[in-house]
Amino acid sequence: MVEIWDIALPIISLVTFAFLTIPVFRVIRRSQHKTALTLAWFSTVFIVSGAAVANLTAKYYSLPSPQPFLNITLTDTPAATYSSAFMIDSISIYMAIMFISVSAVVAFYSIFYLGSKERPSERYFAIMLMLTAAVMGTVFSGDLLTLFIFWEAAAAGSAFLMIYRKTPVALNSTLKYLVMIIIASAFIVFGLSIVHGLTGSLNFWAVRDTLMALSDKRLLLLAFIFIAAGYAIESAIVPFHFWLPDAYTAAPASSAAFLSALIDQGSYYVLIRVLIFILTPPGVLNWTFMLAVMAALTMIVGNLFALIQDNVKRLIANICVADVGYNLVGITSLTSLGLMGNLYFFLIGGITTALSFMAIGIINHYGFKTLEDFSGLGRKMPFVSLALVLAALSFAGVPPLGGFTAKFLVFTAAIQANMGWLAVIGVLTSVLQTAYLMRLISYMYSRKPKDETKIREPKKLLIPIFIFVAAIIILGVYPQAVFDLIQAATQQLQFIK
Amino acid sequence: MPYSLLLVFLLPALGIPFVYLTGKKSPRAAAILVALIALANMVLLFTTVPTVLDSPNHEYVEAYYWIPILEAEFTLFVDGISVSLAIITTVLIIVAALFSINYMKGKKNLAVYYSLLNLLSLGLVGVFITSNLLLFYFCWELMLVPAYFIIGGWGYREPFRAAFKFFIFTHAGAVFVLLGIGAIYMVTGATDMFQAQAALMTVSPDLVRWILLSLTAGFAVKMAVVPVHMWLPDAHSEAPSPMSALLSGVIISAGAYAILRLSLGTVFPAVMGTTFGSDFLHGLTVFGVISAFFGSLIALVETDIKRIIAYSSIAHMGYVMFGLSLFPSSAIVGTVTITAAITGTVLHLVNHAVSKGLFFLSAGAIMHQTEVRDIREMGGLAGKMPFTAVASTTAALSIAGTPPFACFISEFLIFVGAFEVINTDGFFLLPTALMLVATVISLAYSLRYLSHVFLGQAKSEDEKKIVDAPNYMKAAMAILAVLVIVLGIWPTFFVHLINTVQFI
Repeated sequence: MVEIWDIALPIISLVTFAFLTIPVFRVIRRSQHKTALTLAWFSTVFIVSGAAVANLTAKYYSLPSPQPFLNITLTDTPAATYSSAFMIDSISIYMAIMFISVSAVVAFYSIFYLGSKERPSERYFAIMLMLTAAVMGTVFSGDLLTLFIFWEAAAAGSAFLMIYRKTPVALNSTLKYLVMIIIASAFIVFGLSIVHGLTGSLNFWAVRDTLMALSDKRLLLLAFIFIAAGYAIESAIVPFHFWLPDAYTAAPASSAAFLSALIDQGSYYVLIRVLIFILTPPGVLNWTFMLAVMAALTMIVGNLFALIQDNVKRLIANICVADVGYNLVGITSLTSLGLMGNLYFFLIGGITTALSFMAIGIINHYGFKTLEDFSGLGRKMPFVSLALVLAALSFAGVPPLGGFTAKFLVFTAAIQANMGWLAVIGVLTSVLQTAYLMRLISYMYSRKPKDETKIREPKKLLIPIFIFVAAIIILGVYPQAVFDLIQAATQQLQFIK
Repeated sequence: MPYSLLLVFLLPALGIPFVYLTGKKSPRAAAILVALIALANMVLLFTTVPTVLDSPNHEYVEAYYWIPILEAEFTLFVDGISVSLAIITTVLIIVAALFSINYMKGKKNLAVYYSLLNLLSLGLVGVFITSNLLLFYFCWELMLVPAYFIIGGWGYREPFRAAFKFFIFTHAGAVFVLLGIGAIYMVTGATDMFQAQAALMTVSPDLVRWILLSLTAGFAVKMAVVPVHMWLPDAHSEAPSPMSALLSGVIISAGAYAILRLSLGTVFPAVMGTTFGSDFLHGLTVFGVISAFFGSLIALVETDIKRIIAYSSIAHMGYVMFGLSLFPSSAIVGTVTITAAITGTVLHLVNHAVSKGLFFLSAGAIMHQTEVRDIREMGGLAGKMPFTAVASTTAALSIAGTPPFACFISEFLIFVGAFEVINTDGFFLLPTALMLVATVISLAYSLRYLSHVFLGQAKSEDEKKIVDAPNYMKAAMAILAVLVIVLGIWPTFFVHLINTVQFI
């Protein structure tokens, strides 16, 4: 039996560790073996919280098959509609596993990345753990308010990771980000208040059932517009995307990797879960065409902006925008194949962007920023370059890397939903994506560098990077490894058309 | 032998780190290791031949667990057609590796070069030995990436420009293939070619048309048929010669094989017998004839030694396209009576691979020894490089379609097939006549090439010092030259294998 404590345990443990990190770091700083102790501390953190997630998974899957949605409230009274609720199904389990493992790899990268430049800051890691707890809470939320609180904590908390270096550019873009987030949350709160007025509840399933039976949909339409706009801003769908490239470029590489792999993917999760399944499934309001148009726009704009970038980090940030578009293609189809594609894309997209930000972080460290600077890098830093090339090929959808399987799934789903045009746009933008990524690769390998000196690549930073490289290769060749989890998820969620 | 095809997959994949580590110490050992892996693959492929010849379905299948959600099994499959092409691919990899020993000597990063060559061989052979569409696409793209880096990293002049063009063109083609494969999976729920073939029969013909066109367009890019040939002359001529031999011998043949296997084999039966079906075949004919003429005519005026051969590849893909368009337009679905045209086309892929491989290698030997690329600046090399001269002559005459060399037999079979088809479809009369004319032009450019390079007087003083190719190069060329002559005189083995095919 899954108890509420089983769900709360990963979140609580991460939050506790986040608070403990500050005193623990004070102790560590006085010791002789700083690196070893830091590593030991984070290993403990992730082993314990990983065990909490594993415990939840094991308990959930030991329930009699088919596993139900569990909607657990804090009180058992009929007034439970007002109480905070947790929800657990295969999707949230999948997302939780993905978040904890990706977060662990990125955290180990951050230790060496930040440690190499300045003293490791305890606040940075505390916030990182806190954010992991917040996105974890988001995927386990069972009512709109709990979800809103957890998600806003994650979104607003990200600002601390972006501003870490405190450069003027970082301050500027973080301010932009915060303004956008505040506008977005105001929109969402307003929309939610209308929903609460309409349904008298914020619990996912209560809301869903009431809305299905709703006859007068004018107010719901209003609520939908506000909520959709709010979440569209947070997940950077065109035309609300412009904060993302600025923010990710200004953030340190480890932050950008963390944000793109966790917060970005979390925002798609919120968008899909809340808008498609709970609040306004197409059976309630038919808005798939609008979603398709937004998907097409996002793919086109994201890739076009990436095409004209000279700064490589910004180029990758624009790919993050384009990835939103590919994710939307999957969900637009409203088929289980599309949902599968999405869930797989969350993982692969997150890993690939994190991987490229991490590789670029090392490269930027030596002062190489623009395409011109990347000339001849293939010879100077062979291993980092190899990782970046594999990430680029995965973005471009070249098999056997993970990006291919992800794109194959979402495009096939679009064809299945009679949206051939969307698949064609997706395919054409992928070709565009290939073109500018190959331009990057040819800069790295064909041009002569300004000076031929070889650079000693930091080995410790290469380990987390190559963990991700191995992941995109293995998941590309053998996607069944995660499909087992995903398939359970797609069978649970019924699309209401 | 059980697991032979799985081993064909695993050997190159697992061999990569060994090749890399060996290459760090001695590039020559790495080259020999690559050749040995390819040789082992060839032997493994030969072990499937008895099954292909004797089993009732004339095929050899291995299936492994892979992605059940997408109905995808790791299906490894050979029949007469694919095993012939796979075997010839391994031969070309062996000679390319051997040739590289002398040819690439002194270049940088050879460990990486041989590792990439090994990875490339995985994709090249893999394309021919699977019947699963997803796995096919995996291998299809696996041909692309190592080829890109080999052309870019070790090519001539502006190699990355040529490699970029190659990558973008063929990748753009590949996404259309992907669209087609996605559509097939979506409408039939099958990712196996043969299951899809049966399932597509019940699908609305409108959709099948688009699938057919999308797939064929994608494959035609790889095959470099005019008007999507633009990547080929650059990529072939800028690439290092062993890579040119593989590009021209195998990669573009893979495009032709994919059209035969997927466009015509899997999808085409669903529109067979309709007006669209015959229009489609006629369209292929037109592109084939245009390519044959375009390629031959440009080869006739081109002066760069490798570009001549590159354009001749376009011309020969024109022949292959013409042969493919002679596919029986009405037949009992599921079984294919192998016509002379199909046998000829597949045999031409085999023969062209060997002959063109030899042609590129001999041109590479000439460039390596003389460091000249323009044929107007050459002359009188026959006396200085007699071995290379003989090899070049063998290759050039085979490409020109002269008996008793290999390509003669296959071109002859294609024409026999054409005359069979003319009996029922008068459309093919004019194209067949034009293709015969194109054959004459190919003789013209071959002879022009030979006379400029080997006959006459030396054009510059440096040519005094020129000596014949070193031993590994000679060995590589000898293997192919012998094959060109043997396949010309005794094509029975492959003809017999190809004729066993019952399902395409």
